Amino acid sequence: MQDELHAAGHLEFQVLAVAIDNNVEAIRGFAENITFPVLIDADHLLTELYAISNVPTVLLIDEDDRIAMPNWSAYGTDTFSEFTGVSADRQHDRIRRWVREGDAGISSEDARAAVGDLTPEEEAARLHFRLAVALQQRGDADGADRHFDQAAALAPQDWTIRRAMMPLRGEDPFGQGFLDIYQDWRANGSPYHGLMGY
Amino acid sequence: MQPQAVIVSSSGTVSEQTLSSELGWTLKPEGLCREEVCVLVPDRARLVSDAGVDLETFAELMDRPVVVDPVAGLTAIGAPREQRRGALNDLHAPDFALPDLDGGVTALSDHRSKKRLLVAFSSW
Repeated sequence: MQDELHAAGHLEFQVLAVAIDNNVEAIRGFAENITFPVLIDADHLLTELYAISNVPTVLLIDEDDRIAMPNWSAYGTDTFSEFTGVSADRQHDRIRRWVREGDAGISSEDARAAVGDLTPEEEAARLHFRLAVALQQRGDADGADRHFDQAAALAPQDWTIRRAMMPLRGEDPFGQGFLDIYQDWRANGSPYHGLMGY
Repeated sequence: MQPQAVIVSSSGTVSEQTLSSELGWTLKPEGLCREEVCVLVPDRARLVSDAGVDLETFAELMDRPVVVDPVAGLTAIGAPREQRRGALNDLHAPDFALPDLDGGVTALSDHRSKKRLLVAFSSW
């Protein structure tokens, strides 16, 4: 989309992709032939700063650092549209319109109400996750497990905690453990810090 | 000022020098200072002792979340909460800088005065 909009003369449009991930090689695989910057956020700093609880989460930020569209569950393709009930094409049209006309299609009032703040528990879970990653790098597997467990207990419905730790603990993030978390998340009302199905 | 990666400190304290180099704040007679801004320190003895600057007290003064692991000798300090609240309530995008795949560092503010689509994604 960046190439398309640049070709149409909208050179002021810039995509920034942030991987909430410490698997740099896997991210490098995704990023082949990509022309925009790809950032690596192994410590999940962004999920704290913007109250992000799942990926993909998209934000539209204008020339004056104003958030035109807050945390938004938006997709590049229709791969998940059966799950999400949202057409990626419609979301892309919304982005194009914002770039061309400056209208993201959401009122300031709705944008301000769209994202609930992190709870103190969700906030602390991010710090425990960060400590677990640091301890794992030191080779302290027990210490890492202790903090991963605390993080999961503090934020059981947060995908950037629960699912993100799975590959770090040798679990398959697409396996049974994922389905268990998914069912639990659904049973708890599918909580998401932002706009879903929009 | 983004959240801090983990700080190594066996006692939960850091030297004034580390406070300045790692966390960007300098202890002065008027309080904790960064550039032109100073934060008052009502109870200085609680913040600073012979062991150094207490990280939990520092985080509390700055309204930043903190988790200390005394066994591992590690402390994690989050971002000032007002930054996230500024994003959620005032729709002001807080700046951040992270390593990029090209081996450099990219900040949101490197692309100021552009319309930016920020996407958080992952391999998991």
